[in-house]
Amino acid sequence: MTSPGVLIIGAGQAGAVAARALRELGFRGGITMVGRERHKPYERPPLSKAVLVAAQEPCLDVLAQEVWALGDIDLLRGSDVVGLDVSKRQVRLAAGQMLAYDTCLLATGGEANTLISAPAGHPHVHYVRTLDDARRLRAALHGKPRVAILGGGFLGLEIAHAAMSIGAAVTVLERATSLLDRFLPPEASTWLESGLREAGARLLLGTFLGGIHSMPGGRMRLVTDAGDLEVDEVVVAIGLSPNDSLARDAGLAIAAGGGVLVDAQCRTSDERVFACGDCTSQQRPGQTAPARLESWQNANDQARTAAAAMLGVPVPARAVPWFWTDQGKHNIQMLGLPAPGLDYLRRGDPASGKALWIGHRGGVPLHGVALNAGADLRAIRPLFEKGLPVPLDDFPLNATNLRAWARQMQAGAAATV
Amino acid sequence: MEWIKVASAQELSNDEAKTVNVAGQGVALFRIDGEFFATDSMCTHATALLSEGYVEDGCVECPLHQGRFDIRTGKAMCTPVTVDLRTHPVKREGDDIYVLSPEAK
Repeated sequence: MTSPGVLIIGAGQAGAVAARALRELGFRGGITMVGRERHKPYERPPLSKAVLVAAQEPCLDVLAQEVWALGDIDLLRGSDVVGLDVSKRQVRLAAGQMLAYDTCLLATGGEANTLISAPAGHPHVHYVRTLDDARRLRAALHGKPRVAILGGGFLGLEIAHAAMSIGAAVTVLERATSLLDRFLPPEASTWLESGLREAGARLLLGTFLGGIHSMPGGRMRLVTDAGDLEVDEVVVAIGLSPNDSLARDAGLAIAAGGGVLVDAQCRTSDERVFACGDCTSQQRPGQTAPARLESWQNANDQARTAAAAMLGVPVPARAVPWFWTDQGKHNIQMLGLPAPGLDYLRRGDPASGKALWIGHRGGVPLHGVALNAGADLRAIRPLFEKGLPVPLDDFPLNATNLRAWARQMQAGAAATV
Repeated sequence: MEWIKVASAQELSNDEAKTVNVAGQGVALFRIDGEFFATDSMCTHATALLSEGYVEDGCVECPLHQGRFDIRTGKAMCTPVTVDLRTHPVKREGDDIYVLSPEAK
């Protein structure tokens, strides 16, 4: 009798990378991946950018054709897992079939948060989480409609830029009075805001939505505390909720803020069940409580960690959180995590289109923000990895060669330990 | 195909790069350990100039998404890049750096 092997629930970035990592680490048993969508695992970052606007849809495959050609990863597409029984080590599919496992990996991702007044099935309402969602929005945007984007987060603003680039008239509604103020220093937030306005966006900040009314001819009227607004399409981008109900129903530990609670090895409260990616919540160094981290990097890194832990081999070193967003022509990257009360030092000038900030506490770099300066942020990454206080006086000076400075600081920090 | 003069040696220090024009095509020119190498200028994953990337240990990391390529071979080394980069022959005559004009894509 052959053992059932590894069952991966979810066929997104995290699930696919875990499958490949298991093979790369020499695992020879069976790998079955169950995905709700009809697509092979695909990259999600382009869904709010190139998929909406590029003349030709880019290749989105997470795994190269050669990986599938090996035939050692079974992918069940269009299948939903509806039950997980950790004592019997089996799952139940929506179609009724039972699948057994030796080890299970939850890579179930998340769902877009919804607004009751903007139901997902409405012909002019869009949520952008899946490839099918993005293709549908793409089709709508090419009629150059008037679009309201509800939510001025990273996703909403990427979509705003994409929509404007192909001629749509865009209004962004955001409850907060400044954009992404939890993630960016005020200067960067202001820069982002003026860039959107210059590109033609109407920004309604500090604005609350009262309701949405369908009008004759498919138009929609938005009632807000800043007045009414008539549009052709509504895009809702108000965050993500982790798909943790399968784990919850199975009795696995769930974090206080939602998400399947995993340890540093990505193991859940059941020793045979691991979890990775957007569905998880994990305690990170320097953080007071387990937290979710919705990023491409986290999906990849946790997938590799879970694969290694399943096989009992050393897990990769934990990477400093890293995130990027492409806002129109501009690329913003963040390293580390924002925290209340950080002091920010800036190098360069956002007005010139290139700037880099270090947010620090007592000289310990905790949060880096790069505006069109990804390589510079990369050069100073070792300082974030070390997590030690460094003298930052020379960082803002144009005359400072950043790379040489980072090396010098690194050596200095190491010497004082 | 012909050799096109693209730069002089002192324009780049080690682990630096710049985009040069070779018969109408953008090419990324790198200097590693005193030697010069050339690849296509655009990342195979997204619209990014690799000359603005981070060069270390003979690899360049894309400035947008940290995909990494081996500069000598063009090999894609880590996600999100999966497609290798084209490389182009380089020769040095005195201080002059030449790149062999690439075939049109």
